[in-house]
Amino acid sequence: METKRSKYLLTGLTVICILLIGITSIKDGVMEPLRTGVGYFLVPLQTGVNTVGNGIYTGLRDYSQLKTALEENEKLKEQVAQLTEENNRLQSGQFELSRLRELYQLDQDYMEYEKIGARIIAKDSGDWFQVFRVNKGSADGVEVDNNVIAGGGLVGIVTDVGANYATVRSIIDDSSRVSAMAMQSGDNCIVAGDLTMFEEGRLRITNITKDGDVKEGDPILTSNISSKFMPGILIGYAADITVDPERLTKSGYLIPVADFDHLQEVLIITGTKNTGDEEAGEEAGT
Amino acid sequence: MKRILINLLLMVLAFTIQTCIFPMIPFLSASPNLLLILTFSFGFIHGSQAGMLYGLFAGLLSDLFYSGPFGFYMLIFIYIGYINGICTKYYYEDYITLPLILCVANELVYNLYMYVFRFLIRGKLDLFYYFRTIMVPEIIFSVVTTLFIYRLFLFTSRRLEEMEKRRDTTIV
Repeated sequence: METKRSKYLLTGLTVICILLIGITSIKDGVMEPLRTGVGYFLVPLQTGVNTVGNGIYTGLRDYSQLKTALEENEKLKEQVAQLTEENNRLQSGQFELSRLRELYQLDQDYMEYEKIGARIIAKDSGDWFQVFRVNKGSADGVEVDNNVIAGGGLVGIVTDVGANYATVRSIIDDSSRVSAMAMQSGDNCIVAGDLTMFEEGRLRITNITKDGDVKEGDPILTSNISSKFMPGILIGYAADITVDPERLTKSGYLIPVADFDHLQEVLIITGTKNTGDEEAGEEAGT
Repeated sequence: MKRILINLLLMVLAFTIQTCIFPMIPFLSASPNLLLILTFSFGFIHGSQAGMLYGLFAGLLSDLFYSGPFGFYMLIFIYIGYINGICTKYYYEDYITLPLILCVANELVYNLYMYVFRFLIRGKLDLFYYFRTIMVPEIIFSVVTTLFIYRLFLFTSRRLEEMEKRRDTTIV
């Protein structure tokens, strides 16, 4: 009797699950209220556990790093002096730049996205996906497809938002595709995450045209034609660019700027890119 | 009722630890899948139906965390709970070998499910690479964790059962 009933239950649940998978893969966002509701309960818990764990971890680390820190301090002081000097130089350059911009009436706005800071409270612990959750949500103005940056470079994109949390898929995730361009030459390319290269800390660059002029060490930025990423955000630097076997395109690797191993705080650029219509060939998959 | 509540709490706790604490430990290149361990232990100890419901909840938690099709994790967790529940007839207390074998089998099934439905369908064919760098470390970590968790879990289940029995007798 018991087994028969549980068999029925199993069949029922299976059907429900498959239906749910079907519905949500066609129409995203059906489960949004439920996710948000559970978020209200789960996010404070995750934040708490994260803070405690973080406190212990940093306490231990601080202690062991005190010695090296003193040494580093000396070096850094030297560096500060150098940088101050350099900064002065750059500032005068900046003045000149803005003056020239005014002359050319270039819009400066892509440099000045509105950002809010957020703390990472949970990560996917399995190794299949590179997804994490931050403690800011729609209540703070975060929306789906907002870009996420840290350490001066692109980190990922918001895929899912609740009232007090947001889920971010990082660019090193295997399913991530970012339309990008080389800073110097302006050649377009695609930066793709790849699980097989994740350990070396690299991403893949593909679809550079054969005549494209992308060299090792070139900065790679998000492209103007990307449908979801704001233009001009630094992603990383190109490496090992080679011509593909079919001799039509070039591909290579990208070393990201953001340090994905030690991410704790990120900046979310609020406001999404408004292109009017969706662009195919990018950001496919989940 | 109390038992269900405590088990649910245990699961939420495991989920929180898994997502908040494990990724922070730097030397841990892979981490044990606590939800999976709890689900199959529960199914193995309490039978198919209980395992299935427990799996439902574990899957629900995972689905809520990840974006993507809803129900993807629920499906696999339900089946893991159910199938391990079938093995409940071989269940003896303090017998650890079978749970360890089950752990390896479950991890394999779970990871292959991930691979097939999230990677193979996108044309990533290098199964051996994924097997070597992702599945094997996770399986090893999970087996080690199972050694501890299973005992702990057994202990709590037994205590809860005792508590319930005691209360029943006082009522009668």
